[in-house]
Amino acid sequence: MSITRRVFLKGGAMAVVGTTVVPAFLQRVAFASEKAATGKKRFVVIFQRGAADGLNIVVPHGEASYYAMRPTIAIPRQQVVDLDGFFGLHPAMSSFKPLWDQGHLAIVHAAGSPDPTRSHFDAQDYMESGTPGLKATEDGWLNRALRNPADKDTSPFRAIALGSALPRMLAGSAPAVAISNVNEFGVGGRNPQAQPLSNTFEAMYDQSVDAVLHGTGQETFDAVKMLKSADPAKYTPAPGANYPRGPLGNALRQVAQLMKADLGVEIAFSDVGGWDHHVNEGSVQGQIANRVGDLAQAMSAYWIDMGNLAEETVVVTMSEFGRTARENGNRGTDHGHANVMFIMGGPVRGRRVYGRWPGLAQEYLYEGRDLALTTDFRTVLSEVVYRHLGNRNLGAVFPGFEANPNSFLKFLG
Amino acid sequence: MHRKQLKILLVVLALAVSASVWAGNKKKEKKTTAQMEERQRAQHALNRLTFGPRPGDVDRVTAMGVDKWIEQQLHPEKIDDSALEARLEPLRTLRMDARALVEKFPPPQLIKQVADGRRSMPSDKTERAIYESQVEKYRDKQEKKAAKAEPADQAGDNQGMMLTEEQKAERREARMYARDQVDKILALPTPDKRMQAILAMDPQQRQMLARALNPEERQQLMDSLTPQQREQLMAMNNPPQVAATELMQGKVLRAAYSERQLDEVMTDFWFNHFNVFIGKGAGRYLVGEYERDVIRPHALGKFQDLLMATAKSPAMMFYLDNWQSVGPRSPVGLGESPRARNNARMGRNRPFGGPFGRPFPRPQQRPQPPQQANAKKQQRGLNENYARELMELHTLGVDGGYTQKDVTEMARVFTGWTIREPRRGGDFDFNQRMHEPGTKFVLGHTIKDHGEDEGKEVLQMLAHHPSTAHFISKKLVMRFVSDNPPEALVNRMAGTFLKSDGDIRQVLRTMFDSPEFWAPQAYRAKVKTPLEFVVSAVRASGADVSNAMPLVQTLNQMGMPLYGAQPPTGYSTKAETWVNSAALLNRMNFALRFTSGRMPGVSFSPERVLGSAEAPSDTNAALARLENTLLAGDLSKQTHETILKHAVDPQVTGRVLDDPSRPVNLGVLAGLILGSPEFQKR
Repeated sequence: MSITRRVFLKGGAMAVVGTTVVPAFLQRVAFASEKAATGKKRFVVIFQRGAADGLNIVVPHGEASYYAMRPTIAIPRQQVVDLDGFFGLHPAMSSFKPLWDQGHLAIVHAAGSPDPTRSHFDAQDYMESGTPGLKATEDGWLNRALRNPADKDTSPFRAIALGSALPRMLAGSAPAVAISNVNEFGVGGRNPQAQPLSNTFEAMYDQSVDAVLHGTGQETFDAVKMLKSADPAKYTPAPGANYPRGPLGNALRQVAQLMKADLGVEIAFSDVGGWDHHVNEGSVQGQIANRVGDLAQAMSAYWIDMGNLAEETVVVTMSEFGRTARENGNRGTDHGHANVMFIMGGPVRGRRVYGRWPGLAQEYLYEGRDLALTTDFRTVLSEVVYRHLGNRNLGAVFPGFEANPNSFLKFLG
Repeated sequence: MHRKQLKILLVVLALAVSASVWAGNKKKEKKTTAQMEERQRAQHALNRLTFGPRPGDVDRVTAMGVDKWIEQQLHPEKIDDSALEARLEPLRTLRMDARALVEKFPPPQLIKQVADGRRSMPSDKTERAIYESQVEKYRDKQEKKAAKAEPADQAGDNQGMMLTEEQKAERREARMYARDQVDKILALPTPDKRMQAILAMDPQQRQMLARALNPEERQQLMDSLTPQQREQLMAMNNPPQVAATELMQGKVLRAAYSERQLDEVMTDFWFNHFNVFIGKGAGRYLVGEYERDVIRPHALGKFQDLLMATAKSPAMMFYLDNWQSVGPRSPVGLGESPRARNNARMGRNRPFGGPFGRPFPRPQQRPQPPQQANAKKQQRGLNENYARELMELHTLGVDGGYTQKDVTEMARVFTGWTIREPRRGGDFDFNQRMHEPGTKFVLGHTIKDHGEDEGKEVLQMLAHHPSTAHFISKKLVMRFVSDNPPEALVNRMAGTFLKSDGDIRQVLRTMFDSPEFWAPQAYRAKVKTPLEFVVSAVRASGADVSNAMPLVQTLNQMGMPLYGAQPPTGYSTKAETWVNSAALLNRMNFALRFTSGRMPGVSFSPERVLGSAEAPSDTNAALARLENTLLAGDLSKQTHETILKHAVDPQVTGRVLDDPSRPVNLGVLAGLILGSPEFQKR
């Protein structure tokens, strides 16, 4: 693996930044913030860990059975943010309404992984490997999506994950870096005195015979040097971009920051937990309201912050599975099946709920208890990978899955 | 004189080593399993059975004989651990049960009760100060809420959010006063004086003081107090936090200083296996007791006892929601009260009250619109959370052969397994009125209707299931041997598991006796988790930890908060989880900070690493000596030369070429070693 990583990096033009000063790059930084200088497509994936309750997020308020099955946690019809007379957003997501009205937000309902597992661990694993039912897959689909032979100009920052761990989705031979805090990304933080120590560590990891430590070390130090020249400390989000406090708001603010610094970031990943509401889920208010409010506010702020760059950006949300159609005995919901996905971005044909709605009447429920699945999550992701990222090799990204442009939902214009 | 002592020591050691090598050789003839030299075996065993070797450990274990040492570690009760106990002494919440913790470090509900006059203040002076501070905070909040709500309702504009000029001036004043106090208190000469000054303030002033402190001042103040004072101060500011932080400090101290290292490693392993999360509601009161009374006593015992203990523990029942799971056809499920028969035992007037402020849904709480009244009747019911994780994560494993139907049936079996008096800290209780009546069918077995015994029966079944034996063995191999567990070894251990009635000690013996465990490719092949990395650095350097909180916080930054794994899977022990750019930078930065002496609460001294001998004056010798102690000489030639090459840079080692008398900055050299690729593995 180390060799692949190394060749990959050294082959990329941006790798030179690691060893010499690149005036052209710095010039780009100076001009980049206001124009989409590189014409690069950007793709952000948000994973809602813990199985979000899609039925209380995009509410099928036109379904009588929805209210019958959720006597205490349903969102009352008069309080949803109506979208099309049948579906409506949870009222805490009102910050999504302008995006919807402008056509930058699309929804796919009854989507997810076809695997029947209701284990958080397995379901997340499958959604990240992109191969439901197959545990032996070693890398993640987002990493495979990066391996597009047509791409040349790649940067150590091409794929980033906000957090202290690299997610399974980004594991694999294409370089990807995890960043927990942009301002502290480096040896000795922002202390310039620490440079010689940084160099020493870099040399050590460069010579390490351990493939994983060697490869990761190299990616790390390339990224550190590049970030340093972009001077991340000086950052103020665009006016009106009010990120909520909390991990997701922080993560998306830093994603915007890195993307606007023109470091070559194409793919970003962030996850957000706290969706496993077995008890006291809440309705218009409560746990679910807090989570979805945070999600919608963070995504809207990101949209505003990105300015013109948002035109070339697509954001997709996903969660390992949905929750039971009926509420359980504790005013919560148990592990279910299909769920809802949001797609936000410039090229998105929004203002529409895509996918076939299977209905919530008893006979339509999956195993008699959950929302049935009508759209495979890979169909949604394939469209973004193929049409937005321009990676035509879908067979390699989602092995064993029959995806072709004819099956796309065509939510990208 | 130093030199003479050293010489004698070396001779003694050499004798000891050769004696043990000889002993090892003799054994080798007996079994073909030993594939490493005895000294390397000692190093390997220490890397895997402990949180890392301390200076001198390899010699000690080599001298004793590796096999004998392992056998000793398998019997922790015979190992004296009084030095550790002395270190844990100031952390008194470690010895308290959940009930006492709730009383002494009250959660918001208790404070609310006191504030509303439904409960009286404690008489003890210290406890009273804690309650008073919290009541004050609570009232303050209520007032603010009221002030916010009122004018906005009446005028319908923004006025409610704004303060009058008078209020603004008052706040400015209070802030300035608090600011003034911070400087004064920090300037006082002794911890007692500082504490007295703080206690002399009224609760409101104390609150202002807490707000006026910036992070460095807070740290400075905390460092300047005795552990008891620290505890009290924290209790006044945030009582429920006290037990949680002491527990975390206890964990670091145990890992670093316990002589019963294998016991510590296994307690960590089982806690992680039967994970509960401290951040979920009452968890902060329950987790300490859970680790101490449920996990630790069975860490090397019988798996079935461990499984049963976790199943009945309030911590697990709370974390995986089983305490609220109700049989749909049980009396409670049909709408009756759970306290009809248990009146005296359940919480007095709030039978549905959740533990410590997670209110349990109460059907009659609010008047409902008439059209919903019918639907409301079916209120409480089954919760599958525990039933699923019991099979998937605790016993059979996700491929252990169970279905969704089994999950639901299992959930029925465990209805009625709940918590008695949850608001006061709780105990196990079987409530027949919540239990689903009728026969259940689990994993092809028929479980007859017999209340609490149904759960016991299925736990026995699960504890002796071949899938469980395999699943547990595999997980142990992944922790102790390799990320890619050799199937043959797993199968042999599973065999021991089934033959020995799930005797964990026997299963470990099978593993420690296996050629796979001692295979050369297993040597230093596991990447350390952040906890293993941080603690192994403390141990390798013989550092003294007087306040473990900074180390606890380091682990938060590294993505491995103690007791803080939210999902029931716990933390992974696989390399890929812990090797990425953010993690590597965190480790390098920790190594440098740790050895620089800038880490509060931790005293690292390079002299201690080097032992009693004089510090060598030349870089090469210094580096060699440090490598030997910190990594048992396992630093690669390349890394050694890299450090040496960079060490000529005065900014790296603090050495200036024209001043040869200036000693080498040993701290930086040690930091570079601890941050090296080699030290990331065990």
